[in-house]
Amino acid sequence: MTAPTGTEDPLAAALTAEYAAIWAYGPIGVRLADAERKAAVEAEDAHRSRRDALILQLSTGGAAVPPDRPGYALPFPVTDRASALRLAVEVEERTAAFWRAVLPASTGAERDRALSALIEYAVRATRWRRAAGIAPLTVAFPGRPG
Amino acid sequence: MVLTCPVAMGRTTRRDGSSPLSRRAVLRAGALLALGGAAAPLTGCSLLDREEPPRPDPLAPLIDESLRLAAGLRAAADAHPDLAARLVPLAETHEAHATELARVTGTALPSESPSGSTAPPPPEQPASRAATLSALRKAERAGRDSATAACAAAPGDRVALLGSIAAARATHLEALK
Repeated sequence: MTAPTGTEDPLAAALTAEYAAIWAYGPIGVRLADAERKAAVEAEDAHRSRRDALILQLSTGGAAVPPDRPGYALPFPVTDRASALRLAVEVEERTAAFWRAVLPASTGAERDRALSALIEYAVRATRWRRAAGIAPLTVAFPGRPG
Repeated sequence: MVLTCPVAMGRTTRRDGSSPLSRRAVLRAGALLALGGAAAPLTGCSLLDREEPPRPDPLAPLIDESLRLAAGLRAAADAHPDLAARLVPLAETHEAHATELARVTGTALPSESPSGSTAPPPPEQPASRAATLSALRKAERAGRDSATAACAAAPGDRVALLGSIAAARATHLEALK
């Protein structure tokens, strides 16, 4: 999961991002405790729900469903709470970008769902930033590339 | 947008003049129908092609709202300097949104600094910290909702920007907790 390229089906791309996010919350969760671990579990559940909905939507529509991979390369090693929180921020901000990329070609309920995902992940990134002590807590254009 | 003209004309003629829709109402109906597409032309429509008022861009209210939100945050930062480190970055984000919206809509922002004349005058007795944050959260919540509505109604070339603005306002709500 890096950034949306714009050349593939944005829903299929969002699905690959959700796979990677779910995978990343494994190493994140084990480095967190208490309320932060609970928040990580809730975040992972949200990514699982969107993954499942995307698989259903793509397969129902006859589109190719990209497969999950056995593992994903992390952008940096996760060795402690601080690096786990930093990765959680990255995961949420990157998946937000994939849902933002769904918006332009979407209409109606599909657009509402994409916007909900973008907003939810951006807000969660802000929560992780606060937990990590990262300032500022927000970015000006959540999900916008570079 | 081809439907704009026939629909509007049909509604006026079908009523046999008993209760004709005003010209303004017809124009308004046309404007509503045109919301889905940018700059729907009314060319070739003889009933409506005279005295057409310049139609403001549907995103104009969002620009004003961004500047208002920024001004409110800057005024609060002035009243509560201990909150400035939290509030000023949020104000800068709203100003960046206004700049980007002005670019997309081809409009000019007010020339004076948004923190200047548009800011409400500071109250004689500044509101408490908690009341200030609560009022700011309320404004961001309303802003998030209006950006969400604008995103739902926007043409494809504007929807990603509006999505980011809605998301940014939602994160402000979180940052003001």
